[in-house]
Amino acid sequence: MQEYSSQAAYDRGEAVCVIGAGASGLIAVKNLRENGFEVDCYERDTVLGGLWNPQNQHSPLYSNTHLVTSRSQTEIPDCPMPDDWPDYPSAAQMLTYLTAYAKHFGLPEHIWYGSEISAIEPVEGSRFEVVVKPAAGNAARRLRYAAVIIATGHHWTPNLPSYPGQDQFKGTILHSSQLKDASRLRGKEVLVVGGGNSGVDIACEAAVNAAGCVHSVRRGTWHLPKYLAGEPADYALNRLGARPRFLRRFLADRLLKGPKRLATRMGIDVPEHGPTGEEPVRNGRYLEHVGDGSIRRRGEIARFDGFDVSFADGTEMRPDLVVLATGYRPKITCVAPKLLGIDGDSPFPKLLARMFSPKHETLAIAGLVEPGVGVLPIVHWQTHAIAHWLQVRKGDPDRAANFRHQVVSESAQYAVEPGGTSPRHQLAVDAEEYLASLGRIIDTLEQEPAK
Amino acid sequence: MSLISWARRARTPEPVPVVREIAYLEPADLFDSEIKDDPEASPVLCCTGDPAGAAAFNALWLKRFAASGRYAGAVSVRGQGGTPAAEGGVEARAHDLVQAVVTVPRQAVLIGHREGAAWAALAAGRYPASALVLVSPRQFPKQPPKPVGGPPVLLVVAESESQSKEVQAVADAYGVAPLTFAGSPDDVFKGVAAEGLLDAILSWLAGKH
Repeated sequence: MQEYSSQAAYDRGEAVCVIGAGASGLIAVKNLRENGFEVDCYERDTVLGGLWNPQNQHSPLYSNTHLVTSRSQTEIPDCPMPDDWPDYPSAAQMLTYLTAYAKHFGLPEHIWYGSEISAIEPVEGSRFEVVVKPAAGNAARRLRYAAVIIATGHHWTPNLPSYPGQDQFKGTILHSSQLKDASRLRGKEVLVVGGGNSGVDIACEAAVNAAGCVHSVRRGTWHLPKYLAGEPADYALNRLGARPRFLRRFLADRLLKGPKRLATRMGIDVPEHGPTGEEPVRNGRYLEHVGDGSIRRRGEIARFDGFDVSFADGTEMRPDLVVLATGYRPKITCVAPKLLGIDGDSPFPKLLARMFSPKHETLAIAGLVEPGVGVLPIVHWQTHAIAHWLQVRKGDPDRAANFRHQVVSESAQYAVEPGGTSPRHQLAVDAEEYLASLGRIIDTLEQEPAK
Repeated sequence: MSLISWARRARTPEPVPVVREIAYLEPADLFDSEIKDDPEASPVLCCTGDPAGAAAFNALWLKRFAASGRYAGAVSVRGQGGTPAAEGGVEARAHDLVQAVVTVPRQAVLIGHREGAAWAALAAGRYPASALVLVSPRQFPKQPPKPVGGPPVLLVVAESESQSKEVQAVADAYGVAPLTFAGSPDDVFKGVAAEGLLDAILSWLAGKH
C-alpha cells in the first residue's frame, strides 16, 4: 500500500481500524471479524502481545512477572487457557496463550507491524481518516475507516514522581519497567517505591536477592494472598457472588479476616472499604518477608540528599538502587484529547460506559479500565458490545440512536470523580457493577437482530 | 456465549483436568500427492457418545475429512477410550471438548455424534465454532445455548429417527431442517451408511467452510 502518498487518502470502506496488537487489540480484532467487519490492526512494535511480549521494546515486564489474577478469572471467555496450566500463569505463558489465540482465529494476517498512528481525524459521515507512520523510512499514508478502536493500553508511560533533590541523587534510580532482570538487585541496598502490585512483587524479588530492601509506601492498601480458603483468592471472592445476598457480607468478612489481621500486624492500614473498590495487592509472600525482616517498610520519601534518602518519619537510608514502581499514566497520543472528552491537563478520558467516545459514535477505546479482576474478559465483553454496536449502527440508525441514550444513562454511574489519591483510582470500576452494565448494553444490542 | 452464562461459569469450580486422548490426521499424513491441504477449509473436531471415543473415528471419518484437505481431529472426553475417567457430567465433557478444540491450529468445526452432539452443542455455546454438526443427537439439552458467533448448524439423523420428538426438538431449537441418512444411528463409523453420511456432511461443509 506504499503507493498511497500522504496526500491521497485511501478509502477502506466499512473496514474498522484497531490500534494496538496487545491482548485488547487482538480480542477487538477477533470480535470485529466475528461480526463480519474487515479489520486493519496497527501495531507500532514488530511483535504481537503488547506488554506481555518481552521482545516489545517498550515492554514493562519485570523479572518473574506472573498474573495476579487466577487463570479461570483471567482467560478470554471463548478461548480458555489449557486446564493443566498453573493457577497463576507466568508472563511467558500469557504470551504463549495470546499468540495461540491470535493464530487460532487467524488474526496475524490483519496486523500491520511497525506502524504507528500519528493522527486520527474525524471526516464527514462519522468516518475517520487515520495517518499511519511506518517505522522504516516510508512516507506516512492516509486511510479512511468507518470506525476506530483504540486498544493501546495504559501501561506504557511511566508515572514518575519527583522528590526534592532527586536529580542530584548519586545512586541509581530506575522505573520498574527498566528493571528487566533480578540480577540488577543482587548484593545492593535497594529502595522500592510504590505499594502497588509491581512494587510489592519487586520488593519480594529484592528481599531474596538484594543485600537489604526498604519499601516506601505512601498509603495502606488491601493485601490479599494469592489463595484464600484453599482456592485462588479472586475465584473465592467471585464465588461469593453466587451466594444469597444477605450472606455475602458475612462470608466475605470471614474470608478476609485473616489477611486483614495479618496486614494490620505488619503495620499496614487496611482501607475501610472492601478489596473490590480498587485493585488490591495480591501477593502471598510479601507479608511474610515483612514479617521476617527482609523487607523493611517505610512511609513516604521526604527528600533525596546526595547518597542518602530521608523519609517523612525522619529516618534515613543510603540505597544503591532506587526502583520506582509507581505505575503508569494512561497516555493516548494518537488522537486529539477533546475527541475522548479530555479537558484540561487530566490524562483520563471521560468515556461513555468506559469505552465509547462522548464526541464520536464510531470511536471507542477497549481496555481502559482497572476492574480489580482479570481484565481480558472485561475487554472481551467490551469489544463484543462495540462490534455489535457498529453492526447495529450500520443496519438500523434509529435503533442505534435509542441505544445511545441507554449508554449515556449507563455511564452516568461511572462518572469519573477527580481527586483520587492515586492515578489508578481514576480508571477503577467495580467489576460486578460494570459487568452488569455491559450485560445490559449487550442485551439491548442483541434484542432484535440488526436488519 | 452470553455474559451471564460466562459469569456463572467463572463462579463454579472448574472440572478436574484430565489428559485427553486426541487422534488427528492432517492431509499430508495420507501420503497422497492428489490431496492438497486446503488453507481455506476449517479443521474439524469430532466426538461421539460411543465409549471408544476418538478411536471410533480412526477407521473412516478422519481419513475422509483429511482427504478433503482439512485437519481432522477427534477427542475422547473423560471416561472414553484412552482418557481417564474423572468426575463431572455433561458440562465437564463440554469443557473437555472446548479444551481440545482450542489446541486445533485454526478455528474449527465441531462435530458431535449421539451424546457427543449434546456436548458439542454446549461447547459451541462457549467457543465460536466455525460450524456445528450434530449427528443423531441423544440426551440433548432441552434449551441448548445460543451458539457463539452464529455458526451455521447442520443436523443429520438416521431415517428411522427423523420423526422422533427429540430430533424435532433439536431441529426447532436451531431452526434447521434435519438431513437424513440411511442406516442405524449407532453404526455410523464404517460401511455404506457411513460413506453416505460423510458425503452429506462434507458437501454441506464445502458450501459453508
